[in-house]
Amino acid sequence: MPILLLPSTNFKFFPPKLKCVDMKLDTSGLESTSPFFGSGDELCPELSAAPSFSLPLSTDFDEFQKDTKATLKHAKGTTTLAFIFKEGVMVAADSRASMGGYISSQSVKKIIEINPYMLGTMAGGAADCQFWHRNLGIKCRLHELANKRRISVTGASKLLANILYSYRGMGLSVGTMIAGWDETGPGLYYVDSEGGRLKGTRFSVGSGSPYAYGVLDSGYKFDMSVEEAAELARRAIYHATFRDAASGGVASVYYVGPNGWKKLSGDDVGELHYHYYPVTPSTVEQEMAEVAGA
Amino acid sequence: MSNSAIDVPSRGGFSFDLCRRNDMLAKKGVNLPSFRKTGTTIVGLIFQDGVILGADTRATEGPIVCDKNCEKIHYMAPNIYCCGAGTAADTEAVTDMVSSQLQLHRYHTGRESRVVTALTLLKKHLFNYQGYVQAALVLGGVDCTGPHLHTIYPHGSTDTLPFATMGSGSLAAMAMFESKYKEGLTKDEGIQLVVDAICSGIFNDLGSGSNVDVCVITKGHKEYLRNHLLPNPRTFVNAKGYSFPKKTEVLLTKITPLRERVEVVEGGDAMEE
Amino acid sequence: MTKQHPAWSPYDNNGGTCVAIAGADYCVTAADTRMSTGYSILSRDYSKIIKLADKCVMASSGFQADVKALQKLLAARHLIYQHQHNKQMSCPAMGQLLSNTLYYKRFFPYYSFNVLGGLDNEGKGCVYTYDAVGSYERVGYSSQGSGSTLIMPFLDNQLKSPSPLLLPAQDAVTPLSEAEAVDLVKTCFASATERDIYTGDKLEIVVLNKDGIHREYMELRKD
Repeated sequence: MPILLLPSTNFKFFPPKLKCVDMKLDTSGLESTSPFFGSGDELCPELSAAPSFSLPLSTDFDEFQKDTKATLKHAKGTTTLAFIFKEGVMVAADSRASMGGYISSQSVKKIIEINPYMLGTMAGGAADCQFWHRNLGIKCRLHELANKRRISVTGASKLLANILYSYRGMGLSVGTMIAGWDETGPGLYYVDSEGGRLKGTRFSVGSGSPYAYGVLDSGYKFDMSVEEAAELARRAIYHATFRDAASGGVASVYYVGPNGWKKLSGDDVGELHYHYYPVTPSTVEQEMAEVAGA
Repeated sequence: MSNSAIDVPSRGGFSFDLCRRNDMLAKKGVNLPSFRKTGTTIVGLIFQDGVILGADTRATEGPIVCDKNCEKIHYMAPNIYCCGAGTAADTEAVTDMVSSQLQLHRYHTGRESRVVTALTLLKKHLFNYQGYVQAALVLGGVDCTGPHLHTIYPHGSTDTLPFATMGSGSLAAMAMFESKYKEGLTKDEGIQLVVDAICSGIFNDLGSGSNVDVCVITKGHKEYLRNHLLPNPRTFVNAKGYSFPKKTEVLLTKITPLRERVEVVEGGDAMEE
Repeated sequence: MTKQHPAWSPYDNNGGTCVAIAGADYCVTAADTRMSTGYSILSRDYSKIIKLADKCVMASSGFQADVKALQKLLAARHLIYQHQHNKQMSCPAMGQLLSNTLYYKRFFPYYSFNVLGGLDNEGKGCVYTYDAVGSYERVGYSSQGSGSTLIMPFLDNQLKSPSPLLLPAQDAVTPLSEAEAVDLVKTCFASATERDIYTGDKLEIVVLNKDGIHREYMELRKD
């Protein structure tokens, strides 16, 4: 598929201009802690300086992004959910990544372990989520070292929301929930690449979220044991994978409590189906009549 | 409206409204189904006793090979054959249609078909459809006026040539013809040159591949050499083979015949002849 | 309706297929050596596999110019790493570096589809698979490039191991011996070449194990 670099209405030939320019954006936390020998080296500034994002010098960035996106379909399609209950936060997700109609992976780790007390979930572009969650992990650790205490969930989610907001309109695709336990107890925030940041007790994100909400909303109570909450989360993911073709694989369930997070279960949704709906030898509803005298 | 004449379909002739509709839909993002195309190298040449046609046997659908051994040399009449490149359905339909017209014409006249007749029927049809029938053809045959070789383009224009190539591998094949063709080739020399030209297409053009088909037509005789050369065997077969684990359990093997609704009585009254 | 102007594009697709399989103490990485554009073959003998470190190789398909730029950048970064740390980069470290390198071009991506094969710090085979903008995952086997959709289902059928996300965890080691894995790769490519026009000419196989690295070649269909 040809990539339109310029709007076709006023086409001009621009190739020599299309080289990279460095855009200095937020890269704090990315710099190497020990500066290299001769780091002011002009010979290879690209290698010795802190890395930054190169941009195409095209007259129409939006059009370029649109066409690039069509050519390099990134991994998408997801069901993730998280909710606060009596004992803490429950986080669950499926594990499928698809590119259009092709399932590119059935074993994606969509619940990202930011630090022992905080989890992030992954919906939207896989690379965007992976990279910025890792980046958030770095920032949270630096905060810990600077302030001698763990960052709050509020603070962490705001760090991420601010980064994403600074890239608004450039084509990032992130829908994430930051769940954790801090000095104020359990915390849960929804953050997306459009700049949104919401505090809440119950979220589901991704193409399978309507199905997950259906189960989650009907079964949710604040007063639940960890076992009950885990079962609700697992069921919600299972039912989403059952109806949404872009979700599937393994339903992972994590619990965040006062002592940090713990993975409670990981079940193949194909096997969960037979667990929830066991196959019983069905009675034949209507026996076909034998051919008389055949 | 000032230029409303554009929107009114012209009276008489063919209507191409649907082609315009398809263009509009494609622009809006509707994905039309992909066609099976014969990326193809097809060639033909005239030698001392008649005509030799040649073709590769690959059919593709985008980057995927959908037929590794298809037939691209189509029958037109006992003394005329035609190689087709382009959309597989179009080349097959148009050659079948013209071959039936030629057959009817032979019934009517009681004479052998002429190559120019086939040529005229083909180009008339293709011209009428303004290139929307995607068939690029190499037509060859021997009739009472001697050997003839023609190429026909999708829009209906034609050429009469001593040697011709068509399809995505036409340049690779033409390179062989241009360097080696001469008048008055013997049959063996002619076949060898056709094979060289097709092989050039097979190996240098990704739209062409697999095997070489050749058809030799001489006065009152023809020889269809299907898979004359097989230059691309599979390169590796695991001696141990592979097993595919069976996962689905067989639960029931009992067969319950359906109740017969109509009783068939064998051997009733014999029908009148 | 007039046709649109043919717009210039910074990208091309040069085709090609890559496969990597990780075993208990080895890693097989393979790619064909055809480079093509449109319906033409540019080269029948272009190696898509480069050695990044002693125990780490990368196979890349997609746009050759981007792949070359990426390879040079990784080689330079690895050289700096060696000067700073006086050792070779491990395969997991190279995996993360490749991910970051791809992501720094998020808004003007490298049009390259990579698999990284190697041995991890315990000597176990490891394979990392990427998308064009750097999302990555450690897997037991992977295929990328023009023939990947033909090869991946076959590998799934032959090698499907329990998901690493399962809890309780299940043992997930490719059950093949090194020779069997090489034969499997040869079959994959012989089959993909039958049906994918951008795969062919020659197969390059790089095997990494405790004895080091060795390359072998096998002919593929040339049509």
